[in-house]
Amino acid sequence: MRSVATEPPPPHPSPKHRRRSGLFIGAFLLLQFLAPLTYLTRNDAADDRFTWRTFSPPSGPACETSASLETFDGRREELALHKMIHRDWVDYVGRNRRVVVEAFLRKQCEAEGVLEVELTNHCEDDSRIREYRLRCGGERSHETTRTAAR
Amino acid sequence: MKPLTRYWFGDVALARPYSLVRFVLTMLAFDSWLNLMPHGAKYGVGGFNVAHFPVFGDFIPSAPFYLGVLAFTSVLALSQALYRPHRIALALVAMGYTLGWTCSLLDSVAYHYLVSLYLGCFVFFPMLSARAAFSRSDRAPRGSAWAYVLFCVTTAIVYFYVAAWDAADGEPYWLPMVCSGAYLVASMQDRSDSTAVLVTMPFLGVAPIAFHWLTPTESWFPIYMIGIAVLVFAPARWIHVAGRTLTFPARNWLQDQSEVGIDERASQVFYASLAGLVTAPVVSMFVDLPGVKTGCALTAIAMLFVIGRQLYLTPKRRPLWRVVSLFGGCLALWITMATSTARFDYYRSGAIDADLRGDHDAAALMREKAERYRR
Repeated sequence: MRSVATEPPPPHPSPKHRRRSGLFIGAFLLLQFLAPLTYLTRNDAADDRFTWRTFSPPSGPACETSASLETFDGRREELALHKMIHRDWVDYVGRNRRVVVEAFLRKQCEAEGVLEVELTNHCEDDSRIREYRLRCGGERSHETTRTAAR
Repeated sequence: MKPLTRYWFGDVALARPYSLVRFVLTMLAFDSWLNLMPHGAKYGVGGFNVAHFPVFGDFIPSAPFYLGVLAFTSVLALSQALYRPHRIALALVAMGYTLGWTCSLLDSVAYHYLVSLYLGCFVFFPMLSARAAFSRSDRAPRGSAWAYVLFCVTTAIVYFYVAAWDAADGEPYWLPMVCSGAYLVASMQDRSDSTAVLVTMPFLGVAPIAFHWLTPTESWFPIYMIGIAVLVFAPARWIHVAGRTLTFPARNWLQDQSEVGIDERASQVFYASLAGLVTAPVVSMFVDLPGVKTGCALTAIAMLFVIGRQLYLTPKRRPLWRVVSLFGGCLALWITMATSTARFDYYRSGAIDADLRGDHDAAALMREKAERYRR
């Protein structure tokens, strides 16, 4: 005859098991409480990951982006971003996402003979122009913000 | 027992953790196939990537890598939902899923991070069979499940921060705050026989349902959260009755009946399981997406690891059912791909992007495949 008996429930945890579980619970909860608070210390206001500020995918770009590089022989070349990276990355750059801007500038510096890379965001919402300039070999790009001429 | 100990280690209706694991794993699988895979073509384009964490360094995930990770995670997740979950498999699902979004900022959807936290909790859930979670009587089996309480508190923290940011922005925040409070007390409902508690709890569950109903997003996030709210707040008796009905075959027909002929059956199970593990990933050959074959083959290897010693030490059919669940996962992937626009979307977006970059040969190949899968 087929058995249809119920299996016993899992045993109650021992004091030792409870202590270990308690440590895990504490660490897990601490991580969850602290992760969103790091937003308050971030330099990049566009970076709201792990904060529960929004559950929607990132919106479209707020700025129109152009980029150029200067070579050691003094030539200046315009860069066609859409031909170089995926449009989602272009959108990130257009939202002034600092970590992506930095990575893009550093990537352009990998090419031979590049002296400096510049990226400009013309932002419509606050009528500002943000410029990021990286001298190849440097650690971090220099950012300048100015109001667009009307 | 101290109040805090009672809060974390007190009894809950086992039908809840049982159903939650299966619901989230099933959602994860179909969410990956229908919403994530179609966007996979953008990975690795132009050799550019920025990961969520610096630990990835200069690693650039390609489209086959991303789809492979998704295939591995989703097929393993569904196989765990179909048959009794295994802790190692759940840990692999959690790691695979987390790798999938952490490797690139291209996936910056907030709820993927939440699903990773949930999967982390699942690893410590009691690994329940249908027979342990549902009884023949009307009384739902109860037991200690601290990871389930952690799951509820994790959800409460999420709503707390939603309310906090809303308050900071000067927007109404009472609804997410009610959701947060509701999840904090949700796990205590199964320990009380008080009529007031039993009546109040389902009403508290209306808060998260209303919240997600009123703030729809394009993603499947509201479906996840409404489903979770139903399983956490519905009266235990309802979950028990529904679960008992749905798991009737698993509790009665799929169990091992006898221990006779141990040696002969053990060898049959051994060879059948091995054959199944080898042939299950073959199904993925029909999916025709880069990386999926490798992902499914890795799932079979992971399943072999999960079955482990059971494969040759037990006369029971448990290894065989695990292989059947793997088959189920691979078949579901194939059927989903064949009946949806996921493949068409993948190849079409890849073709558009290749055209933009001036790679017209790749674009032509992608377009040809997109045409093949147009629905």
